[in-house]
Amino acid sequence: MSVVVRAAWRLGAAAVRGRAGRPLSQAATSGGEAEGGGGSGSREAVERLVREHPVVVFMKGSPEQPLCGFSNAVVQILRLHGVEDYRAHDVLQDPDLRQGIKNYSNWPTIPQVYLNGEFVGGCDILLQMHQNGDLVEELKKLGIRSALLDAEKDQDKK
Amino acid sequence: RSFSSQTDGEARVTRVLREKFPRASAIKVVDISGGCGAMYEIHIESEEFREKRTVQQHQMVNQALSEEIKNMHGLRIFTSTPK
Repeated sequence: MSVVVRAAWRLGAAAVRGRAGRPLSQAATSGGEAEGGGGSGSREAVERLVREHPVVVFMKGSPEQPLCGFSNAVVQILRLHGVEDYRAHDVLQDPDLRQGIKNYSNWPTIPQVYLNGEFVGGCDILLQMHQNGDLVEELKKLGIRSALLDAEKDQDKK
Repeated sequence: RSFSSQTDGEARVTRVLREKFPRASAIKVVDISGGCGAMYEIHIESEEFREKRTVQQHQMVNQALSEEIKNMHGLRIFTSTPK
């Protein structure tokens, strides 16, 4: 494993040891409201959000201030690849969105990463993709050149 | 960690996984919340994951543990197929 990737892995692992959030079941009690119509957690609303940008992240907190170790790990991994321009949605600000995104992807946890509108996974999957090189490939398909490619080139030059 | 020192939560989650993944060759469940049952790390190796994308494999584990997950703050999943 290259030095850069190894450092990144340690970063990811350390970032995950953040504070625990609320129980997953709490988010399920969004007052028994129907999801149809234009609520922020409705399928249509979530669909619109995931298609807004090639890289969309649903997280706790913001990229500037993640409020969960797993969400922080996602932010750090994207940063390592030089991906700073993406849409991040703080589910702690919107309980309907928090539940809606879990229903949409049929995935019980936050963070959730969407590439080109498609659900890719959470923190563990993104970390795995980062470690095995898949993330560089997926970003390339979106027309995004990972910063790690340039970092490796510099290393080779030295 | 030896099998005999599993927490009740670890034992329960392991049992559910054994039932739902009969072809699993290795299952390891670790309570990473210091024994509180709030967060688990799950490693599972099974033929049932072959040819499936990682997110699909994780989805299978999520479905299998949907009841247990309701009481967790979070979980980490690591799936693999036998070599």
